[in-house]
Amino acid sequence: MSDLAAILREQHVIVCCGPGGVGKTTMAAALALRAADEGRTVIVCTIDPARRLAQSLGLDSLDSEPKPVPASAFKGRKPHGQLWAMMLDTKRTFDDMVLDLTTPERAQRIFDNSFYQHISSSLAGTQEYMAMEKLYELHEEGRWSLIVIDTPPTRSALDFLDAPKRLTDFLDSRFLRALLWPTIAAGKSTFKAFNVGARVMLRAATRITGSDLLSDVANFFSAFDGMYANFKHRAERVREMLGARRTSFVVVSSPQEASLREARFFVDRLRREQIPLGGVIVNRTHLAPPVLDDARDLAELAAKSGKAPLLAASLDVYASWQEIAEREARAVEDALGGGRMPALWGVPDFADDVHSVPALRRLSEHLLGPISVPS
Amino acid sequence: MSVHAAQLSTASLTDSRLVVVSGKGGVGKTTVAAAIATAAADAGKRVLIVEVEQREGLAPLFGRPAIGYDEASLAPGIAGISVVPDEALTEYLQLFYGVGRIARPLLTGKAVEFATNTAPGLRDILLIGKVKEAENRRAGGSYVYDLIVLDAPPTGRLPRFLDAPRAVVELVQSGAIRQQAQGVLDMLLDPKRTRVVLVTLPEEMPVRETIEAAAAMREMGIALGPVVVNALSPQPFTTAQQRTLSKEGAAALLAEAADAGIDLTERAAEGVAAVASTHARRATAQRRALKELTASLDLSQIRLPALFTPQIGAAERRRLAAELVAQGAIA
Repeated sequence: MSDLAAILREQHVIVCCGPGGVGKTTMAAALALRAADEGRTVIVCTIDPARRLAQSLGLDSLDSEPKPVPASAFKGRKPHGQLWAMMLDTKRTFDDMVLDLTTPERAQRIFDNSFYQHISSSLAGTQEYMAMEKLYELHEEGRWSLIVIDTPPTRSALDFLDAPKRLTDFLDSRFLRALLWPTIAAGKSTFKAFNVGARVMLRAATRITGSDLLSDVANFFSAFDGMYANFKHRAERVREMLGARRTSFVVVSSPQEASLREARFFVDRLRREQIPLGGVIVNRTHLAPPVLDDARDLAELAAKSGKAPLLAASLDVYASWQEIAEREARAVEDALGGGRMPALWGVPDFADDVHSVPALRRLSEHLLGPISVPS
Repeated sequence: MSVHAAQLSTASLTDSRLVVVSGKGGVGKTTVAAAIATAAADAGKRVLIVEVEQREGLAPLFGRPAIGYDEASLAPGIAGISVVPDEALTEYLQLFYGVGRIARPLLTGKAVEFATNTAPGLRDILLIGKVKEAENRRAGGSYVYDLIVLDAPPTGRLPRFLDAPRAVVELVQSGAIRQQAQGVLDMLLDPKRTRVVLVTLPEEMPVRETIEAAAAMREMGIALGPVVVNALSPQPFTTAQQRTLSKEGAAALLAEAADAGIDLTERAAEGVAAVASTHARRATAQRRALKELTASLDLSQIRLPALFTPQIGAAERRRLAAELVAQGAIA
């Protein structure tokens, strides 16, 4: 599905992804608001919103519980549907998942483990995985007809899509067990050299981290034993949901080459994984309506006349924006063309930070035209 | 202390041995790191620019397809290296345990992922240890490199990254590893050797993150260089003109056009006025963010112009290098 209006009308899950610093969170909020304005019951789950954006959605308490956006936020124009918002709390989502997958006693042992405390908040890939886990939970709850989820600004598409698999591989890795119990492994392994390597590694790791950490790790894995199957199963279901027909990924990018390059990675990777790609939103473009093609010459005339300083400066700015807009269009073409061009939606730079419901509405109206309320 | 810090921050970055460049994602820190390296090389320094985490942003700035783990020349006076944990780990084990490079196949994939994921800071100490090695390297009695420029992780990860050696020093009581970590720590905490350059955009979020990162650096005792404000848009309109633009818009332009005898349609005037006032508002918002930065952070500022080219390559790098020299960051 590559019609943005249809995506907002019909899909059940929209995942906003893309590189950092391109306004992904704002875009997720704008899309969610739009769908709510048009009558759907929507929740937007953000990762790390700008404080004023969070406040404008009534999220100033930085809560990880879904909450309806307070009526006052809508500035007298309540959505036809409902808008809920929440923030992702990585650690808490991980805790909830552990509780869900094992007995309370075992869960407590896991929570008390200092290695768990480390990985649940800072292991590479955890945040990405928990974003997907939260998405799955929201989906299971069944209270919302549309879930819009923001994703961490991971630099590589691989990190994000691989997160569930990488984490389960990591937790279930035979290598890890071999490393933790070198003596057990020695009897079973056919690769002696491997264990030499493992022992060196263990020694190095112990020297650097102190030995407590490694016993913590061993304890963690013994507590985690038996959870693997559930854990893996869960990851597979998350993956299934991402590939489902009622899910659309929307890639957000800026018109800068570096950002577009990453957007291209996302597009390619999503296609390879057969994850449904809605299209690419190119945010903060320079938009110059095609009203003049000799602006630079006119600017010079205006400057020479000595009677039109504001006009001269304005025409100069306009001419520069025209040039920039052309270059940006070329950069988009270069980065995303060459093969099947994804659906593209441009959003101009609104100059002011988009931090309020009216500003989010302006953004959505630019993307989708006037809001239409179902009759 | 603050006087001392202020003096240092206005001194040339080439007086340091190591310049750590960081910033919020998307602010152009890699471009600024490359520009600093270029300006220093132009001043006759032998420079090594170091990329970590394989961000691959550095290579296009030097017109290269990629930067490898082995140091290679990128431009006159500039060598580049991309430090990756598994290579650094191999080197590290070789150094401390006599495990040859022949063992490398054993140390890739899961092994390194395990080691670098489990041991907090192991990845960081490996990366930064490599930087220290290059900083300290001598040939024929003098340093091989006059200046190391590190394109460091983004500000969100910077404190933890730079704190890794201290954590090791606290954990490990003696031996070669402690000695090495202590060496790295000494380098980082010596304001004559190391300075952190924070790069920001003149926008609310990056400015706030920069202020927070600066506070974290100060708490860790790491010296700060000037803050680089990247991609500042020009403000071609006076305050009075901005007011006219936002109040009268196209009408003001049409009136001036009539005075000057220039043919301008109403539609054209509207289009031009819309673009002009958007630009003016944006430039104003940027200056507001700059004001906030100036009020909250007592560091000198280098202000780099917006380049308005989607592609940032060798020409843009050289242009920004010249700007750094003109503003006294590099003497």
